[in-house]
Amino acid sequence: MPDRVPTPGNQPADEEELRPEDAMERAASGGIQAESALATAAALEGGPSEYQASLWKDAWRQLRKKPLFLIASSLLIVFILMALFPGLFTDQDPRACDLANSAGKPQEGHWFGFDIQGCDYFTRVVYGTRVSLIIGLLVIGVDVVIAIILGSIAGYYGGFWDGFIARIADIWFALPTVLGGIVFLNALGERGLLQVSFVLIFLQWPTLTRLMRSSVLSGKEMDYVQAARALGASDWRIMRSHILPNGIAPVIVYGTIAVGIIISAEAALSFLGVGLQLPAISWGLMISAAQNRILIHPHLLLFPALFLSILVLSFIILGDALRDALDPRLR
Amino acid sequence: MGRFIARRLLQAIPVFFGATFIVFTMVYAIPGDPIRALNGERPISASAQQALRDRYNLDDTLLVQYGKYVGGIFRGDFGETFRGRPVAEILKEKFPVTARLALGAFIFEVILGLIAGILAGLRRGSFLDNLVLVSTTVVVAIPVFVLGFVAQLVFGLQLRLLPIAGIQHGWVSYVLPSMVLGSLALVYIARLTRTSLVENLRSDYIRTAEAKGLSRPRVVGRHALRNSLIPVVTYMGVDFGTLMGGAIITEGIFNIPGIGREVFLAIQSQEGAVVVGVVTAGILIFILMNMIVDVLYAVLDPRIRLA
Amino acid sequence: MIDRLSKKSARLAPVLVLALVAASCGGEQPAEEPEAEPTGGAFSMSICEPESLIPQIGAETCGSQVMNALFTPLIEFDPLTDEVIFAVAESITSDDNVNWTVNLRDGWTFHDGTPVTAQSFVDAWNWAAFGPNGAGNNYFFGPAGTNIVGYDDLNPEKGKPDAEELAGLQVVDDLTFTVELAAPFSEFPITVGYNAFYPLPESFYDDTDAFNEAPVGNGPYMMDGSWEHDIGVNVVRYEGYPGTPGNADAIEFRIYADLDVAYRDVQAGELDIADVPDAQIESGRAEFGDRFIESASSSFTYIGLPLYQEEFQDPELRKALSMAIDRQAIISAVFFDTLTPADDMASPVVQGYREGACSYCVFDPDAAKEMFDAAGGYDGTLTIWFNNDGGHETWIEAVSNQWRQNLGVESEFESAPFADYLGRLDQGIDDDPGTEGVTGPFRLGWVMDYPSMQNYIENLHGTGAGSNYTTYSNEEFDDLLAQGKSAGSLEEAISFYQQADDLILEDMPIIPMWFGLNQSVTTERVDNVIIDKFSFVDAALVEVAAE
Repeated sequence: MPDRVPTPGNQPADEEELRPEDAMERAASGGIQAESALATAAALEGGPSEYQASLWKDAWRQLRKKPLFLIASSLLIVFILMALFPGLFTDQDPRACDLANSAGKPQEGHWFGFDIQGCDYFTRVVYGTRVSLIIGLLVIGVDVVIAIILGSIAGYYGGFWDGFIARIADIWFALPTVLGGIVFLNALGERGLLQVSFVLIFLQWPTLTRLMRSSVLSGKEMDYVQAARALGASDWRIMRSHILPNGIAPVIVYGTIAVGIIISAEAALSFLGVGLQLPAISWGLMISAAQNRILIHPHLLLFPALFLSILVLSFIILGDALRDALDPRLR
Repeated sequence: MGRFIARRLLQAIPVFFGATFIVFTMVYAIPGDPIRALNGERPISASAQQALRDRYNLDDTLLVQYGKYVGGIFRGDFGETFRGRPVAEILKEKFPVTARLALGAFIFEVILGLIAGILAGLRRGSFLDNLVLVSTTVVVAIPVFVLGFVAQLVFGLQLRLLPIAGIQHGWVSYVLPSMVLGSLALVYIARLTRTSLVENLRSDYIRTAEAKGLSRPRVVGRHALRNSLIPVVTYMGVDFGTLMGGAIITEGIFNIPGIGREVFLAIQSQEGAVVVGVVTAGILIFILMNMIVDVLYAVLDPRIRLA
Repeated sequence: MIDRLSKKSARLAPVLVLALVAASCGGEQPAEEPEAEPTGGAFSMSICEPESLIPQIGAETCGSQVMNALFTPLIEFDPLTDEVIFAVAESITSDDNVNWTVNLRDGWTFHDGTPVTAQSFVDAWNWAAFGPNGAGNNYFFGPAGTNIVGYDDLNPEKGKPDAEELAGLQVVDDLTFTVELAAPFSEFPITVGYNAFYPLPESFYDDTDAFNEAPVGNGPYMMDGSWEHDIGVNVVRYEGYPGTPGNADAIEFRIYADLDVAYRDVQAGELDIADVPDAQIESGRAEFGDRFIESASSSFTYIGLPLYQEEFQDPELRKALSMAIDRQAIISAVFFDTLTPADDMASPVVQGYREGACSYCVFDPDAAKEMFDAAGGYDGTLTIWFNNDGGHETWIEAVSNQWRQNLGVESEFESAPFADYLGRLDQGIDDDPGTEGVTGPFRLGWVMDYPSMQNYIENLHGTGAGSNYTTYSNEEFDDLLAQGKSAGSLEEAISFYQQADDLILEDMPIIPMWFGLNQSVTTERVDNVIIDKFSFVDAALVEVAAE
């Protein structure tokens, strides 16, 4: 599918914009993103300026009414609270562990049972929220910033810079980043929050950058932008006032979902043994420790897996809802 | 068309060298002495160490090592493990296993994904549509390794329906792992198909066709579907390349002796040659798949071809 | 490092004694008695993918299990009694524990028909000891092993070696060769049972790579085809074997990447012998009954303490750390009781081990806390080191929890892949101060090279010894070891070793954690499955029940 529905006045300026990689890239990075890119791009084209100004306001009005959004955001608020103030949810110390209780089943006072070290599992799982949220938000935060900068440059100025950034993204895309991440992490002596986040940043930056690039491209062609340029507005002003506000939409939508992906990725890395290390409390580490015992102590796997899935789910639902709200055509 | 392909090939070259060089650097520039890893806790004499270092070019500069390696690739020589086993042999042995797994996952995700996506797209807003949306969202949220364990627990151990480890039981062994491996892509394909179909069904040219009196099945089958499938096809092509890269986690959980597992073990035992070899082969395959998809895309969408 | 050890030993007057061999093992053994008929049949057992099938290179258990069937060394150990059995060697004797004469029996041949001669041994040993060959078992000929004269010439620190042959090895005739050691070592005869000392046929030197795929040995079994990587190795009985023939006609060593899969195959009756994964121990015991075989292995796990760090130089602190650990609790919770808590510095499988010798290995949190405080405690956070590719995270975490609970000291962790980890350990013991080495308790293990107490305590605690990463150095200890190595009888040697053991038990440079156990299961098809102290199944003894 072309990245825009061709209507008069909106023919692609050059072949570059219709590169198969764009569609592939979008497609490959997730149907969700494809939908959002397609949808948002379609929504943005050819509309009057008032529409853009109220895009976010409209979206908010829509969101407030959607039950899914409300559920997801409530869940997220609960998780954020868990991360910031774990004491609200549990009064036990995650490090007070007695081997005598090793792998104890769920029971009175210890709803999730005990882990292999004999620590209260509910407490451990609650404390695990912090690490997941921090890494997810930090990584995507950085990725979004990178995407905005590089994507704008590539989309707005085109030409050499566009090609250059595109090639680098290509190379990165060709790399099995998961493997590369594992190789890199495996060699590090210390794998803390920062090191793991650093590696995860590289996972999603090409996707987000490409997204930003295409929406800058679409935005660039708008009549009112041409008008602003004719009137002598500087590049910076045009970007800031006209292109960015709406161009960011698909990035935000995908970014929200990507937080979920990153949280999942960190858990996967920790599970493989190349993510966070002791004494970090991470769901991935918990699942990894549980894997030899899923038959005899299934609760060890169940509870962190549940929390992990629900957190990721919340982000995805949130992203979905955002996308729906930002695009009137898919309603 | 020929020019198009030629351009693509040219663009692939820097990608190949760039990607392989990055991987090579990552593997060989990391700290740790792989020769030492060979001997475990036991001492090794300086002389013996030096001999092994010479044999594997470990004392050359990185660029020289890379040069020698790439030269070897074009001769079909992917280097040797530190035990003296040719990496090419390992690749030949393990790739087919992963290929079978990837094929299984591919078939599973394409068939189920397309069916789900088309049905959902056709019946927008219906119960089926919502079911597809909800279930795909949930599946995406659950990390693949959790999915794997749950699948093992439920299908393998509780219900005793399918083998959960190893490949001794013939093709049946690949069923569960393929399903787990393909689950994520299945979601993407289903959703992409659905959205794309919905988009197309609402577009002007479909409305025109319907207004002209064409029957619904004809409209959908001949026009909407074909255009809707373009992004899906491109995704499928790219995904196949990724699958082939070796699903490390899935192979680990289900004990499939494929290339993904091999590479993971190699990373841990610092067998750089295996890691670089597998990744290089993976990059080659990826580039190849990309080109095929590009061509396919150009075939399907004349605007690309003619631009 | 190396020189300090030999100089000390040389200072002692050589003791004129009978060969240790004669005293402990009944001297020269008579020729093998005629054996019972082999029982026939074929069976399969699980192994992991070997690193190498060249005995001088491979050191891990997977390959060694196969090589044990393909080769027979100078001496062997009875798997049940541990008695030394003279196999290819007729006798290994010495007057001074330095110069040894090895007499071979006649009639031994390689699987290709060529005779096993003194040259077969000497050439193989020279090949292994020659540095540039990069043989993994090279160090067995040096100071960390048997210490044969001339080793240093073959392994210079820099550049190419001057010589290709060990000066200390001399062929006298087809069935005799002599060995000169750089230092007296009364137990030399029992060290030559290891892979490194196997004989090699001449065909080996023509093409070592081809040999690796299909080794030609002198053992009770010969290769049937070649090594199918990641699939298996098949062997059949060698009919020209002069010793006790192998019971089974053929053995399939099937390669498994995963313990669980192998175990399941035994449960399904598709594989005859496999190890038991930890999590299945309980159910395995119940399910297999007397086909569940458990025996002591020689593995020894410990936590070393870096004595070059000031904080660990007080023995009282070290003892406190040791007594604060509840080993049994960890073994139960983390390892499903598949190990036994360590109570000596040497494994129970060697002579000289004394039960409960380690008084500071007993769990006593109160006493530990007292000692800890009296020693001034530990300022700040402990850093525990371990290699992150061995699955040690869980028990290390348990230890740190116990230290927190019982001593009030917090820990953080540093880990690295094994090769890197060893490098960090090396840096710690380097003479160069200020290098970033290991700064806190570190996890290591040891598996014996030959059944001797000396192998455990000297390599870990001898001054400058190859695996001494704590930098423990005690003249008295070294002296006692040297006396043991030149002792006249095994009893005398052991008494010296035990005195040395007492010293380190009092000093606690390491915290002994546990000894390993072998757990395997078999199908009903096989019988007489014996696992020796090296954790190998004695494949030649396995009997296949008549169908």
